Order: sequence, then C-alpha cells, then structure tokens
Amino acid sequence: MAPSTDSEFVTIVSNDGFEFIIPRSAACVSETFRLMLSSTNFPEGRTGRCVLEDYSGVVVEKICEYFCYNEKHKDQVNVPDMDIPPELCLELLMAADFLNT
Amino acid sequence: MAAMRARHKIRAPRRGVSHANTEDFDSIWTVLSSSLTEINTKNASTLAFEEIYRHAYKIVLMMRAPDLYEQVKQLEQDWLKTNVRTLVTDSISSSLVRAQKSTDAQDQSSERREAGEKFLTVLKDAWEDHQLGMGMVTDVLMYMDRMVASRTHPPIYVACMALFRDHILRAPVRAGSALTVMDLLESTILFMIQLERSGHIIERPLIRHCIQMLEGLYETATEEESSKLYLTEFEPAFLETSKEFYQAEGQRLLEIGDAATFCRLATQRITEEEERCRYMLSATTEPKVLELLDEQLIRSNIDEVVNLKGTGVRRMLDHDQLEGLRNVYMLNKRVDKKKQALTNMVNKRIVEMGKEINASSILLPQAPGQSADKDGEKEKKPEKGKDKEKPQNQQTVSAIRWVDDILGLKRKFDNIWENAFASDQGMQGSIGASFANFINMNVRNSEYLSLFFDENLKKGIKGKTESEVDVLLDNGITLLRYIKDKDLFETYYKKHLSRRLLMKRSVSMDAERQMISKMKLEVGNQFTQRIESMFKDMTISEDLTTSYKEHIARSGDPDQKPVDLEINVLTSTMWPMEIMASKEGMVQLPCIFPREIDTLKQSFERFYLDKHSGRKLSWQASMGTGDLRATFVRSNGKVQRYELNVSTYAMVILLLFNDIPDGEALTYVEIKSRTRIQDHDLTRNLQSLAVAPKTRVLKKDPMSKDVKPTDRFLFNHDFQSPFVKVRIGVVSGGANKVENQDQRKVTEKKMNDERNGTIEAAIVRIMKQRKTLTHSQLMTETLSQLSARFVPDVNMIKRRIESLIDREYLERVSEEPPTYGYVA
Repeated sequence: MAPSTDSEFVTIVSNDGFEFIIPRSAACVSETFRLMLSSTNFPEGRTGRCVLEDYSGVVVEKICEYFCYNEKHKDQVNVPDMDIPPELCLELLMAADFLNT
Repeated sequence: MAAMRARHKIRAPRRGVSHANTEDFDSIWTVLSSSLTEINTKNASTLAFEEIYRHAYKIVLMMRAPDLYEQVKQLEQDWLKTNVRTLVTDSISSSLVRAQKSTDAQDQSSERREAGEKFLTVLKDAWEDHQLGMGMVTDVLMYMDRMVASRTHPPIYVACMALFRDHILRAPVRAGSALTVMDLLESTILFMIQLERSGHIIERPLIRHCIQMLEGLYETATEEESSKLYLTEFEPAFLETSKEFYQAEGQRLLEIGDAATFCRLATQRITEEEERCRYMLSATTEPKVLELLDEQLIRSNIDEVVNLKGTGVRRMLDHDQLEGLRNVYMLNKRVDKKKQALTNMVNKRIVEMGKEINASSILLPQAPGQSADKDGEKEKKPEKGKDKEKPQNQQTVSAIRWVDDILGLKRKFDNIWENAFASDQGMQGSIGASFANFINMNVRNSEYLSLFFDENLKKGIKGKTESEVDVLLDNGITLLRYIKDKDLFETYYKKHLSRRLLMKRSVSMDAERQMISKMKLEVGNQFTQRIESMFKDMTISEDLTTSYKEHIARSGDPDQKPVDLEINVLTSTMWPMEIMASKEGMVQLPCIFPREIDTLKQSFERFYLDKHSGRKLSWQASMGTGDLRATFVRSNGKVQRYELNVSTYAMVILLLFNDIPDGEALTYVEIKSRTRIQDHDLTRNLQSLAVAPKTRVLKKDPMSKDVKPTDRFLFNHDFQSPFVKVRIGVVSGGANKVENQDQRKVTEKKMNDERNGTIEAAIVRIMKQRKTLTHSQLMTETLSQLSARFVPDVNMIKRRIESLIDREYLERVSEEPPTYGYVA
C-alpha cells in the first residue's frame, strides 16, 4: 500500500518501462484513468501506478504532456497549439480512444 | 520521404490491431470471464484494471461488443441465479414465510423479528455486493458501454440491476411458491415499521439500506423517477398499512377518551412519521404519509375529540390547559385551514361562559331585590323603585362585576389565543365575534359598561399609575368595540359623565380626557363630539364663575351677604337633559328659592345676560349643592357648629327652618308648598335629612323610614357628628346606578326617538346623493351607515321610509323592483 488515493501524483508506466509522474487531477482528464484511479478495488487505485501495456514510452510521454497541457490551459481561450509530431498522430488517436480522453 | 514516413507511421497502430487479431474472441473472453467471476466473489484486488479494460477494449475493436455485452449479462445472471439466490433464500426461515400473512405485530414478534432481521441483513449484503461488483464491472467495461449502450441496449450497469431485480427479488422464496423475495421483503419491512410504531426499537439503518435498494431499482430500463421499485411496489403497500394502522389508532385513542392524550399522541405520531420518513424511508413519502395520517387520524376524529365530554376542548378552556389547546390547534390546523371544529367549540364555550356571566349579573341582584320588595310591602310605602337603594346599589356592583368578569374572560381567552392558538387571525376574529355575541345578549350592556367606567373614574383609578389607568380604560374600550348599540352607550355615558362633572366626582380630569380620546379613536369623531362639548361647557363655566366673582367684588354690594356662587352653564342640547329636566314634558314650576339665594340668582342672571344677550337660563336646582353653616343649640345650652354640604334642594329646605321659630315643625305639605319642590326630589331630600341615621339634621314625626305627606319635621338640635364638615348625600341621587325598570323604559323610548331621527337623517342623506335607489339598496346603505352607532331594526327603517314618503321627502318611483326617488 504505497502512495494511495489521497496522493496528489500518480505514476503512468509505459510498456517499455518508462515512468511518468503527473498530477492526479491531470490524469483524470481521461475517463479511463479516472475510473482506474477512483476505486480502491483495483490495484491501480490503491497504488496510484498505472501500467499501459499497449503503449510505448514515446506515446505515453506525449499523452502525459497532453494531460499537463490540458490542465494548464483549462478554462482558457486563445491557448497555443500543442506540438504533435505527425508520426505519432495515429497512435495518439488510438490512445485517445482507449483512454477516453 | 515525407510520404514514406507518413506511410510508415500509419502502419504502426495497425500493428496493434493485427496483433489483437491473433487472439480470438473466445480466448480473451475466457480471461475476461474469470476476472469478472473474481470480481463477483470479491477477489478482485489483484486484478489490474488496465488489463481487464484492455481485454474488453480488444473485443470491442473486433466489433464483437454486442456479443461481449450478452456474455457478461449471461455470466451475471448465472452468478445471481446459482450463488446469490440460494444465499438469500437460505436466509429465509420457514417461520418468516409463515408469519408473512399475519398482520398482528404482537404475534410471535420476537421470533419473526429475528428471522426478519437475518433475512434483511443477507439481502442487504447481497445487494451491496452486487452493487459494488456491478460498479466495478461497469468501470472496466466502460469502453464496451460506450459502443453498445448508446444504441438499443441500456448500459450494462442498468442491465445488471434489472437482473438482480428479476432473479433475486422476483424469485420465489421456495421452489414452486408464489411468494417472492420481494413480497417477503415488503412484509418484513412493514412488520418492522409496525413494531416501531408500537414502541419497539428496530434497526433503522438496516431498513434504510433495504429501502435504498428499492430506490435504486427500477421497473424499466429507462430508469424514470416514477418507476422506482420503491414507488411502484413498496410505497403503496406502506401507505395501505399506515392507513389501516391509523384508522385503528384513531379508534383506540378515542376509546381512551381523553382529548389531551389524543392530541399529545397524535402530535407525537406526526413527528414520528416525519422522522421515520426522513431516516428510514424516502423523503418523497413524507407528505403522502402525513396526508394519510391527517385524514385517518385527525380529520375523521377531530370533531369527536374536540367535543369529548369531560376532557375535550371545553375542559381545556376551563382549566387553561394551554398545552392541550395548542395540540388541538396544531392538529386542527393541519386538516382544516379554518380550524372549524376548534373554532366552533371555542365560540360555543365563550358564549356559554358569557351567558353565565350575564345570568349571574341578572340573578344576583334579583334575589336580594325581591326580598327587599317584600320588606317594602311590610313597612315601606308602596312606591317601589324610588327608594330601593340597597338592591340598586347591589345591581350597580353587579354591573361592574359583569364588566370585570367579561374582562377576565377576555384576558383568559386572549392568553389562550396568544399562547395556544399561535395568535391565529381567524381565531381572533371568531373569538371577538363570540364575545360580541354574548355581550349583546345582555340588553343592558351599554349601561353596565358605562357604569364600569363611571365607577373607575370616580374611585377605581385612585392611586393607580398612569399606565395602569391606561390599561384599564383600554380594556373597557375593548368591550365597547363589541357593543352593537353604541348610541345607547353614548347616552348612558353622557348621563354618568354629567353627574361626575357637576358633582365633581371625577378623580382625574386627565383620565376623563384620555377616555374620550380613546373613544374617539375607537368609535369616531361624531360619537364624542357632544361629550367633548360637555367638557367645554365646564371650562367656560369656570371662567364665568371667576369673572362673576370679580364682578361682584367690583360692584361691592355691601348689604348683601357674601354667598359664594359657583355656576355651571350648560348647553342644553349637549347634556343629557333627562337628568335635569322634568319628566314627560310636564312643565315644572321652578322651585322657590329663599331670599338670599334668589337675589344671588337674579344678580347672576343679570350678569350673564349682559354678556350673552338672547339666551335663556333655566336653573337646575336638582343638580347643585350648597354649603351651609348650621348652629345647633344643645339642650344644655352649648352651641355646636357644623358645616353642612347638602344638595340645593336640601339647602332650600333647611333654610326654611331659619324662618320659623325654634321648636316648631313643618309638615311635608307645608314644605312642599313653600318650596315647590317636586314630590320625587322632596321625598329623597327629606329622607337624607331626616331618616339617614348619620345625617339626621331634621327630626321626623312619626319616626319611620318612609316619608309620608302627613309627616312633620322639626330641626334637630341634638345632631351629632364626629366631623365639623358634614356631607349629606341625597338618597339614590348622587351616585350613578343601574336604572330601574321605569327609568329604563324612558331611556329606551328616548333612544328610539333619537334613532328614528338618525335613521331618517341617514336615509335623506343617501337619497339626496343618489336621487333614486331601489328598496334593498337603500336598506343596505342605511344599515352600513348606521352600523357604527347601532344596529337598526329593519322594520324601523321601513317605517321611517314610509314616514318620509308621507311627509313628501321621498316618492315611490316604481314598484317592480320597489324604488324610491328623492323629492327636492
């Protein structure tokens, strides 16, 4: 029972072992993460550590970057566009669908 | 190059899909189903959310989402059917099933209760597990839900809830039994509630959870508010039992036969039900069950409760049981905005008590009055009514007591109204109406009330603070508000006031003025106009007296004996003349004043007419008083002087004895012829001079209590008094008392004449303005104009209209409908 639900940060782990620590609130932009983290019935909720088996570190990094970007510019207009490398866009699209973001 | 890169990158995600394709539906489902079973058995803690989610996600990507949906449903159904249902049905003891039909709460209550609690606990646990499990399932299957639920299927969560409803609640308790778990659940909860109603303590949270379960389940997949199982199944049953219970409860409480208990328990029941709904059932049920309670327990019983003999509202009123009354009020208010039952009872009781007061005020003086009459037959002159001083005094006392009693009653009900009836407006109105009702039953109300004021202004307010006086007068004014015939009150008040003013009996002029301003506020300007002008006359007269004294001092007539004159010149129309004028229009010859007085009188008349020409002064000797210095020569030769304060007539009589030699007597007839005082006044004055034991200035022969025309009077040199100044009141003349029958008739007749005039004036005023008016309209207008002063008799108005037509003030314009026109 490491840092549990009340911790402010969660850890997202890619399939190749990269770990990203981001604010819980940022991660909860994703419906999937929100459900995953909200209930103590699953280990993710208890430990605050989510492993994404399908995605590589590059993609997960971009995902986490988006989470923070979203958090930062919440409720704002005229925000700068996020830089998304074209080679990642399809994979990110899939991930977005998976994560229900 | 760019194109190349793009193509390369597009392939990347496809790899994932094709990778997924390598695993087929069945193999993934096997993994998934075992995970779901783990969830159901609450062993999920090791399962990674991400993993299950990923599996479901893959299946959905294979376009097999509907299959997955069905499979999950099937899995859950099997789970419920095989495991959960047995668990639940096993918890149902056979005694519980047997007890199902029995409605008697006391019957085997502890056994049934235990079994019921066990059953409820198991069911509750099953439900909570299911809810939790389904919550987790929903979470991990979110991706599937997004794909499937939006179309024809309800979300998986709803579907699984429906499964619970169908396969657990709607399942038979025993194989082949028609009784379902739901029925049993319902009856068990109702049984528990029944237990609580009969005073047991039950496990509220348990029930609350079961109710929450019912609230969380719906009849249909669309989950409308109204299709909650709680609303469709449980609530009607609950209301039905409550209805039965409160019907019985109403009967039971009535049989106890104590209104206070009834109300206390009913109020308690209301709070109980409120609480029950809040903590155990649903807030939506609260208004429904309370409505039912109002209907069954209160509305159908309140009349009986209010009227309960010996303990009902009547007794509460009599004993000032505020608590009980407050309960009755609250209950009645719940079911009836107008609080009819209670109001009726209160009104009835007020009128009853009022009648008692009325009756006692009439009865009391009659008893001694009659005995006095008998005495009178034995030894008094047959002339009754004139010398019934004692009973009349008592009557006065009882009149004042009547007012005091009513004020007491009023205070009592004001207190009740304030403290028990929450100062309810409607109640106030009806209480007021009841007071008016019984006060007006006493025909002498105006007279009594005026006497009450008289008494208080003469004596009662002595030594009281201003605010106390204020309260006292306000109380009286409150009663005045209830009196219908205010003009009659005015007449009496004027009469009593004039006595107070002329005889200087009023304790405080400030209080008198205060009284008038209060009356003005209450009844209006017109009402007090004449009373005020009486005060004005008094002030003017004071000035007049002073200036006359100055005049005398200036003219300095040396041979006149200085006689002080204090005079009140009164405007005859403003003062109640019947107290001074002769009776029934008989012209009374003015009494012959002795010489000294006569010169004084003439001197003043000259003085007055000099100032105001064209006026006529008529002297009201009966209203005045005189101070005499009398010398009594004792038989031993000693001389004793007394100052006598007597009425003008008595003074005149006493002065007669100055003119006759010592020791000689005057007969009644002689006195009468020398003074021309009327029989009525003469008798009274002689009585006070010769009969009253303490003020016997004259000796009478023979010594009897009554004055007869043949009696002889002589100066009593043996007069003794402990004081130098002696005040000799006139028998039954000086004080304001209840009128006797004759006087009353006179007053009434005068009243009627005055009313006739007032009615005619009102009719003419209205007609002058309207020119033509139908009979009924004229009636209403006249009545409303006059209602401030008195309540006129309709026949009286009709007669006045007739008379006005005869005298050609009005004319009949048409017959259908009867219409009158104004003749200019």
